[in-house]
Amino acid sequence: MNQPLPAQWSPSRRDVLRLGGLGALALSLAACAGPTVGGGSSAPSASAGTDWSKITPASQITWWSNHPGASKAIEEELIRRFNAEHPDIAVKLVTAGAGYDEVAQRFQAASSSNNLPDLVIASDVWWFRYYLNGQVMPLDDVFAHLDVDVADYNPTLYGDYAYDSRHWAVPYARSTPLFYYNKTMWAAAGLPDRGPGTWAELAEWAPALRGQVPTDGAPLGLATGTSWAAWWFENMLWGHGGQYSDEFTVTLDTPQALAAGDFLHDLFHGSKVAGIGTDTGADFAAGVFASTIGSTGSLTGLLEAATFEVGTAYLPDGPSGSGTPTGGTGLAIPASRTPEQQLAAAMFLSFLTDPENTAYFSQNTGYMPVRTSAVEGETMSSIYAATPQFRTAVDQLAEKSRSQDWVRVFVPGGDQILTEGIEQIVLKGTPAAEAFASIAPRLEKAYQENVEPSL
Amino acid sequence: MTSVSSPVRPAPPERRRTIPGRAPAGRARFTRPSPRALRTWLAFLLLAGPNVVLLLVFVYRPLLQSFYYSTLQWNMGSPTARSVGLGNYVEWFQDPTTADVMVTTGVFMVATVGGSLVLGLGLALLLNRRLKGRGFARTVAFAPYVLSGVAVGMLWLFIFDPRYGLLSAGLRAIGLDSPDWYTTSPWALVMIIVVYLWKNVGYVALIYLAGLQAVPLELKQAAALDGASSARTFRSIVLPLLAPTTFFLTVTTLLSSLQSFDIIQAMTKGGPLGSTTTLMYQIYEEGFVTGRAGYASAVATILFLLLLVVTVVQLRFVEKKVHYA
Repeated sequence: MNQPLPAQWSPSRRDVLRLGGLGALALSLAACAGPTVGGGSSAPSASAGTDWSKITPASQITWWSNHPGASKAIEEELIRRFNAEHPDIAVKLVTAGAGYDEVAQRFQAASSSNNLPDLVIASDVWWFRYYLNGQVMPLDDVFAHLDVDVADYNPTLYGDYAYDSRHWAVPYARSTPLFYYNKTMWAAAGLPDRGPGTWAELAEWAPALRGQVPTDGAPLGLATGTSWAAWWFENMLWGHGGQYSDEFTVTLDTPQALAAGDFLHDLFHGSKVAGIGTDTGADFAAGVFASTIGSTGSLTGLLEAATFEVGTAYLPDGPSGSGTPTGGTGLAIPASRTPEQQLAAAMFLSFLTDPENTAYFSQNTGYMPVRTSAVEGETMSSIYAATPQFRTAVDQLAEKSRSQDWVRVFVPGGDQILTEGIEQIVLKGTPAAEAFASIAPRLEKAYQENVEPSL
Repeated sequence: MTSVSSPVRPAPPERRRTIPGRAPAGRARFTRPSPRALRTWLAFLLLAGPNVVLLLVFVYRPLLQSFYYSTLQWNMGSPTARSVGLGNYVEWFQDPTTADVMVTTGVFMVATVGGSLVLGLGLALLLNRRLKGRGFARTVAFAPYVLSGVAVGMLWLFIFDPRYGLLSAGLRAIGLDSPDWYTTSPWALVMIIVVYLWKNVGYVALIYLAGLQAVPLELKQAAALDGASSARTFRSIVLPLLAPTTFFLTVTTLLSSLQSFDIIQAMTKGGPLGSTTTLMYQIYEEGFVTGRAGYASAVATILFLLLLVVTVVQLRFVEKKVHYA
């Protein structure tokens, strides 16, 4: 570089092309990363045969959460308690999104990198996609090694994560939808202090309730959106004897499903018992709606926000029965982490969901305790005595809960497609038959593309 | 975009003969490059190489990979995929929602590009006057442009809230009902466009302001002497002299409009019922929500081709009509 460059020289087009050619060659080699094309099932055969007794837990793990039910401070406290017992395992809590979907999307995008957590939120509509992609490990062996009393997990909630005879997540912030009502309005309307037993009863009560809400309000407020509308609509669908799917066969064209769709249409566009809201919890607390359907995880927030007494009740029954879906999220351990990290994560996971800590979490959020012993334990009993609203969800779980329809929770994108159908009915007033007919082929296609080849 | 009135750079005389490492004219023959030529090459590689490598790795490699992924049926996150050739493209062209997405994209593009040019020019004309507190006003006008789109979106969600928002309070004060911006189809798109304009108009105004200040005063004075009205001066002198600025802004705002994502994600997530789903948002939705990474890559390729065509058309045909001072 001592000699100056010849002043006249500049790279010719051919020179640049040569350089580009070299680069392209390197690229074509590098571009081999990505999915394997033409492979068979991607479902996992993960971590079978790890001898956990020979593994030393890692000294640091990362937890991706969305802090369900505004629980960041609670989660930090749980980590503090864990560190009191295990000072040698540091847990880094990362806010990985504002909701289940965002955490899941980030997890999917990071799956081909090393930037993965050791413990991740796995919601009802996402965990099976993690399983299909081989992204999470089965927990049975490591929990056996840690002597976790899995029989004490609520069987319905723990069973939700079972597939292929193994469990791929553990229940954490689990909920059901609840019927919340404004006791002051209820009393002013001369109604009994309870939720409506059936949807027909709510329709009978609606005229009296309409007198209690502002003109832009409604007796019942409902919100749409993914990971939400297709969840509460299951109650209406099951109440009319229908379902989204029989296993993976879409059944939205049955008379029962169509009756449920027509009922939903009437709720918003005929009887107008229901009104649409974007933040129905805030609207309910502000007195815009006399009642709403919300997650049990919103209970603490609603009790704090409302200036009136909040009543909680089961979701109403339909003409052909009842049913409440369970939902919320579990926690899963990524399959690609080292056994040391997985073991440390499993230790933390079992600590998070032990009877004492699930009670602490439940007490501060409203999510259901995931341990049977916790429900009848001292902490929860005193909470139920002081705030009986907390009890409704647990009783509803025992009496009315039902596993969700597969096409919603097991088909990637299923929830989103179903939400579009429901939004067509609610927001646009499309007849149910037309709305369902438009989404059914897409659900079938999503199943054929993303699930069938892996089963 | 620069002025071409400066003297043309003289072509290096007999440049061809001095190019190192090049075979003599005629049939290409390999000749051993001189040490001097090698040194020159080395210097070229050292200087240009790092940039070229960065471009290749972070721009062209993802681009090529995206083309490749668009031929796959691949569930995001899955270790396996199936080759479907051009199947994803065929599906996109046959999908009934494609027309809706393209209409939404078109309306959004025309409204944001047109709106920001007109409003930006208006704002620039205003800020070009000798007003009290002009510096402060200029800063305020430009400030939204540097804010994060997500923060802007969240803020405007409160303003547009049909029950508690500032806008609905204002509308109520003059006896109007606020439309339900979040859940009614055309209004949600209007809302997104308004917020996009608010955020980006400062940038357009700033560039126009620079353009306005470059308009020679003597031209305007000469027009005034000839008795031209201010409207006529603006139409016949200022606007034509701003043509290069307008052209530059058209290209940049068009590209940024077609790529806008943050405000849509923060405010409507493409809804209600897909009424704010632009082509860009569809890529995200298919890739990350539905998980169809292959299909999303196909849509991304279509957007890439669209941007390419739009840019080439602008540079090839529209620029010819631009008058550079």
